[in-house]
This record gives sequence, structure tokens and C-alpha cells, in this order.
Amino acid sequence: MDKNDTLDAKGLMCPMPIVKLAKKMKEMPVGAVLELIADDVGSKEDVPAWCKRTGNELVGQKDEGGVYYYYIKKVQ
Amino acid sequence: MAETKRFAMVVSEGTFDKAMMAMMMGNTAASMGIETHIFFTFFGLNLLKKGTKPKLPGMMRFFTGMMVKKMKGIGMDGYQEQLAMAKELGVKLYACSTSMEMMGIKKEDLIDGITVLGAAAFLNIATDADMQLFIG
Repeated sequence: MDKNDTLDAKGLMCPMPIVKLAKKMKEMPVGAVLELIADDVGSKEDVPAWCKRTGNELVGQKDEGGVYYYYIKKVQ
Repeated sequence: MAETKRFAMVVSEGTFDKAMMAMMMGNTAASMGIETHIFFTFFGLNLLKKGTKPKLPGMMRFFTGMMVKKMKGIGMDGYQEQLAMAKELGVKLYACSTSMEMMGIKKEDLIDGITVLGAAAFLNIATDADMQLFIG
């Protein structure tokens, strides 16, 4: 999947991946896609919820044996 | 983007578990673009004192260091770091004026950036909130 930047949040538990994701997304330009890598199982619910709440778009996700990849496009 | 929501939280205990929960919820909410307000009252007020290091309640207080270490191991910052993060994320922090008087705590004993107010002023904020939590 095309991406402009990666945020590795492996080893971090809720809520740190979300706090770091919010910070990172603030620095990124509109239209850019961030790859977020996390291994907190809670992120499967948390990341889509964060995207919905903040109005950013989750354009893709995959689970590779307990490591979760999210592709989030900055809409605003 | 969904319309901006407001979150009002009251913290009435000053122990480590309550402190961390308030910070984790508050910082997550702020990270989600939710306008977050936290009112510290009774023993919760101690959490706004400069350099405070909250402990677990009762006899468990001796295990606070162990828990802090465990949290660090899963990438979680300590209380002071989380408090600094809350300020950075724009979380509004309030000290209860009556609790300050009762516990002999002065404004200068508290960290910077705190608004001192009474119950009526906070309730005014909470009335317009979409979500309220009481941590006590």
C-alpha cells in the first residue's frame, strides 16, 4: 500500500498508539497516508474509532500474525 | 469531520490508579479531537501540585514503583509526563477553590496553566458537555 510515512507503535499499549498517531497526523500534510504499525489488540477497535471521530480516512488495514498495519489518509 | 464534542471529568482521589486513569482517558479524548476539561477536587487536587508523585492506595503504595516500571515496559509514560502531555494536547485543567482552601493549598503550589474555579463554574462547563465521567 502506498504510504508517505510510517509510525511504529509496536510494544505500546492503549492509549499510547492513539496519542502518538494524533501527534504524527498533525505534522502530516492533507492527502498524505500514514502507515501505523501496532501490536496492541485494542488498536483494531481504537484506530477505526479515532479515524471516524477525527474525520480521517482508514484506507487499508492488515493483520500479520498479531502485528496490525493501518493506512490512514489525512483528510483534514 | 464529526462535530467537536466536549468531555468533562471530575477527579476526587489523588492515588496513582485514579491519576493514571484520568490522564489516559483525558489524553486519549484530546487526541481524538474532543475538547477535554478535568476538574480536580478533594484529594484529587494533590495531583496538580508541583512535582507530585502519586502512590497506589493503602498498603499497595509500596508497590507503586513496580507498577510504574511495568507501565514503562509497555511504553506508558509516568504521571508527570502524562500531565505534561495533557497540557500540550490542550486539556483544560481546573482546581477546585474550596478544596484548595480546605487543604491549605495555594495557587503557587500548583503547576502552571491551572484555572481555579468553583463548582458552579465547572458545572456550567459540564452542562454543555456531551460526556461526563467521575473518577473517585
